[in-house]
Amino acid sequence: MGKIVGLTGDETAAEAMRQINPDVVAAYPITPQTETVQRFSEFVADGEVSTEMIRVESEHSAMSACVGASAAGARAMTATSANGLALMWEIVYIASSCRLPITMFVVNRALSAPINIHCDHSDSMGARDAGWIQIYSEDCQEIYDNVIQALRIGENKEVLLPVMITFDGFIISHCTERVELLEDEEVRDFIGKYKNSYSLLDVDNPVTYGPLDLFDYYFEHKRQQIEAMEKAPPVIQRVGEEFGKLSGRNYSLMEEYKTEDANFIVLAAGSAAGTVKAAVEELREEGVKAGLLKIRVFRPFPVGKICQVLRKAEAVAILDRSASFGAQGGPIFLEVRSALFEEERRVPVVNYIYGLGGRDISIQQIKGVYRNLQKIADTGKVEKLVDFVGLRE
Amino acid sequence: MPSLKVLSKKEDLLSSGQRLCPGCAASIIARQTLLASEKPVVVVCPTGCLEVATTIYPFTAWKTPFIHCAFENAASTLSGVEAAYRSLKRQGRIDKEFNFIAFGGDGGTYDIGIQALSGAVERGHHLLYICYDNEAYMNCLSTSSLIMTEDGLKRIMEVKEGDQIYAFDQKTYQLVLKKCTGVFDNGIKDVYELTTLHHSIKATANHPFLVLKRNGRGKENNFVWKTISEMKPGDEIVVLKNLDKGKSFKFDFNKVKRGDYKVNRLNEIDLPEYSSPDLMKYLGIYVGDGWVRDGKGEVGFALPENSKGRNVLLELHSKIFGGKTRTNKIYVYTNSVNLARFIESLGFGSGAKNKIIPSWLFTLPIEERKSFIEGLMLSDGYKAGNSLRYVSASYELLRGLRLLLQTTGFRVGKVHQQRKEKGTKCVDRELLETSEYGYVCFSERGEWNTGKYPSQYRYQNFLMDNEYFEMKEVREIKLVGQEPTLDLRVEGEHNFIADGIVVHNTGIQRSSASPRGAATTTSPAGRAIPEGKQEYRKDLTQIMAAHNSPYVAQASPGYYNDLMKKVQKALSVEGPTFINILSPCPRGWRYDPSRTIEIAKLAVLTGFWPLYEVENGKYRITYKPKKKRKPFVEWLKSQGRFKHLLKEENREIVEQLGKRAEEKEKALYALAGEEFS
Repeated sequence: MGKIVGLTGDETAAEAMRQINPDVVAAYPITPQTETVQRFSEFVADGEVSTEMIRVESEHSAMSACVGASAAGARAMTATSANGLALMWEIVYIASSCRLPITMFVVNRALSAPINIHCDHSDSMGARDAGWIQIYSEDCQEIYDNVIQALRIGENKEVLLPVMITFDGFIISHCTERVELLEDEEVRDFIGKYKNSYSLLDVDNPVTYGPLDLFDYYFEHKRQQIEAMEKAPPVIQRVGEEFGKLSGRNYSLMEEYKTEDANFIVLAAGSAAGTVKAAVEELREEGVKAGLLKIRVFRPFPVGKICQVLRKAEAVAILDRSASFGAQGGPIFLEVRSALFEEERRVPVVNYIYGLGGRDISIQQIKGVYRNLQKIADTGKVEKLVDFVGLRE
Repeated sequence: MPSLKVLSKKEDLLSSGQRLCPGCAASIIARQTLLASEKPVVVVCPTGCLEVATTIYPFTAWKTPFIHCAFENAASTLSGVEAAYRSLKRQGRIDKEFNFIAFGGDGGTYDIGIQALSGAVERGHHLLYICYDNEAYMNCLSTSSLIMTEDGLKRIMEVKEGDQIYAFDQKTYQLVLKKCTGVFDNGIKDVYELTTLHHSIKATANHPFLVLKRNGRGKENNFVWKTISEMKPGDEIVVLKNLDKGKSFKFDFNKVKRGDYKVNRLNEIDLPEYSSPDLMKYLGIYVGDGWVRDGKGEVGFALPENSKGRNVLLELHSKIFGGKTRTNKIYVYTNSVNLARFIESLGFGSGAKNKIIPSWLFTLPIEERKSFIEGLMLSDGYKAGNSLRYVSASYELLRGLRLLLQTTGFRVGKVHQQRKEKGTKCVDRELLETSEYGYVCFSERGEWNTGKYPSQYRYQNFLMDNEYFEMKEVREIKLVGQEPTLDLRVEGEHNFIADGIVVHNTGIQRSSASPRGAATTTSPAGRAIPEGKQEYRKDLTQIMAAHNSPYVAQASPGYYNDLMKKVQKALSVEGPTFINILSPCPRGWRYDPSRTIEIAKLAVLTGFWPLYEVENGKYRITYKPKKKRKPFVEWLKSQGRFKHLLKEENREIVEQLGKRAEEKEKALYALAGEEFS
């Protein structure tokens, strides 16, 4: 059993990276990710890791170097936020399409403009179709647990996809929490050594990465990427269970919090899930059967699981920390509502956009969401399909 | 450095059979570089000519590990590979030694990729970045396209500015002649083949075609321009049906006179001044069954005794030329120096595989063209069912014939090609060598009884009453690979007729590596700006030297010894190294592909591209032209992209360019502490 420490989200991410000891890390600083890279650089400077650290001149080069390193057979990691992720966009797609299991922390921050350094999910939600597995972390402990599992998931031969571990900028990245760490040895045994079957450094079996691929093959290659995503959920489930045996903390595609008998369920991803849990506690004391379904893995989207939980509810609200301009609602809402289309009983589903640019969401506001769900259940009428929480109109 | 003999036995890590243009220096540079490396090499290429032409899934020309990531990040991708190597090496997980080399074009290096390059060099990775610098970003038609001009059918490569080109008048729907205002080289592109029942053309995805827009019953239809990527089978495009604007061709042939050097026997013969149906029929037979032996002054035909061609030929011969012929069981001969040289001057090509239809044939009146086709059919043609078929070993001849038939009122199918392997049986005999031949099928165009149901016919063919054009349905559009492409600009109508199809003008783009004075599509030479690109090129070699890299050099594939030595030096030092190598591009620079090495040398000899190195900050000129130094204008004269500079109005610019090159070179010599001579 490891030790219990107090760490911020960024420090937790760096500590996990120290234990993972990746072969190559290429990163460029951006608030609020900076402390992760800073702390890890100290580990490199002190010789605590054997990592080759590339202090690149941009995020675009960070992801490019990770692509080169991963293709050369190295375990490559990076971290970024918002505009940094936007700059590396082109290469984010190339990483997943070359099937390179790179691991990246995305410390969620609002995309410019106007420039804002605080949390929302517009950065990682924008990359939801980039072919990366996305795991959202609620707190510091989850950052730690998720990244260790991420390597096992991404590097699985059936999957071979890059993984994005996200956590909320400032709210988690700069907040000190209790974190239970595993022993270094335990982590290294759990993740094992990475071996790329098609390495650029295998000169006896030379390979070509990234050839020109036109309409005679491109489609089939995209189909393979779709298939890799389809194969990921059971792997994620298995790795989560195995990690549970090691750490006592079990993981699944989602976390159900008092949904068993819940009439009203709220869905959320990231740190807001913690606030929702507190609201659920208070509501339960008031006699309201409230529950939370926390999205942990957003890509691949766990359709079956979600329907199973939600089909019994009287009304459901989805909290989205990003807007999809011109769409019917936020990205999580769109997915969930479409998933429920096949259900025999129509569950009313509404969407609340909250917390853009780092605006706080309180327990009271979330209780307000549950009260609205109750109203919908009572009247059978949805007044507003998509609404905002904490917005001054 | 090992001798050429030793080098020639080393395995080429970039195999042949890749799809770069003939004469492209990029592959020469890559191979010279790879030969110079003694350790295994990991190669990175950014998006560009070298990458797309050497890797097209499921093929690769690289016999060494290779990665392409994106356009602007070769240096950062390679820094990742190199970092992985160092990490794994330190952990004892790998024992081999490697060299890490990037090959970037000038676009991916000078412009969009300079940030990643600068970063990688600053970080000190042990890698060599080679820029193959072809000085531009290179939409468009395949260079094999045939264009209808006043002087007949020309390969697009032969069309010159000022030529009169046939175009489709979009108001009157008539055939008009328009002036060509420019020819642009667009480099190697993905090329699509668009086919109708009777036509085919190769063009890039963004090339526009004139497509009929049906606006519904009772409404006027109109034409719209659509690019290949927007088109689908079933679209109706405008094609040329007939070109009856011809007149008999006046031959420009000077007879050899008695007493001329080396001619001791001259059989006098009458040579016609103008083309005629009889002569064209004769020439048709000649293209099928004839040959010329210029040395002997002999024109011969393989027409056996009772073939129907023989009698026709003999009759035609005496009618046109007078003079005698000799015959035996198989052949018909005429000995006449003048006849032999006359026929040779007509441009039909020699040898069964190299015969072509010369462009002047397309300018003839329709009956002369028809007579030529009759002659052809008397030789290698036959009737197959309801259609006629012509067989030839020359693919170019069949392509030309197909267009000739299309514009002479015939319906023509595609050019079929066949290949018979050596050893297979053909007409009961074993073939002694593999032979390739092709054929086209065609038939007379039937007349429609348009008077009976005029509106229906007009619905089916919008241009039914048009004398020159008709509508054809697109049958198939498919990618056929990568080819060199060119594009024409035509004034006024902005369209022209390529491979019988009406197509639109399109638009090599300047990069920061394009030299001042070069004409590109984004920096053309015009009336207000006669010089083309107005800015001097970015001096990347100096920028890289300013990064304090331990080794920076400038090289040219014309001096392979110098180039390979520089590669070896670069690979032997620890840290990031950079070599800027001039990469002549036949398409973009507009010169004949056979002259690549000559041009690569000329750049050095005229002072445009001095060969030097900067080793730990110390400059050294590695090749001094000395007495062989050539005037700068020779450099400009050697390539089509500078052609406009040679006009009188640009004299001052040429002087400035020469002066600038000399100043730059002098400054280099000064840095190296050498005397400039």
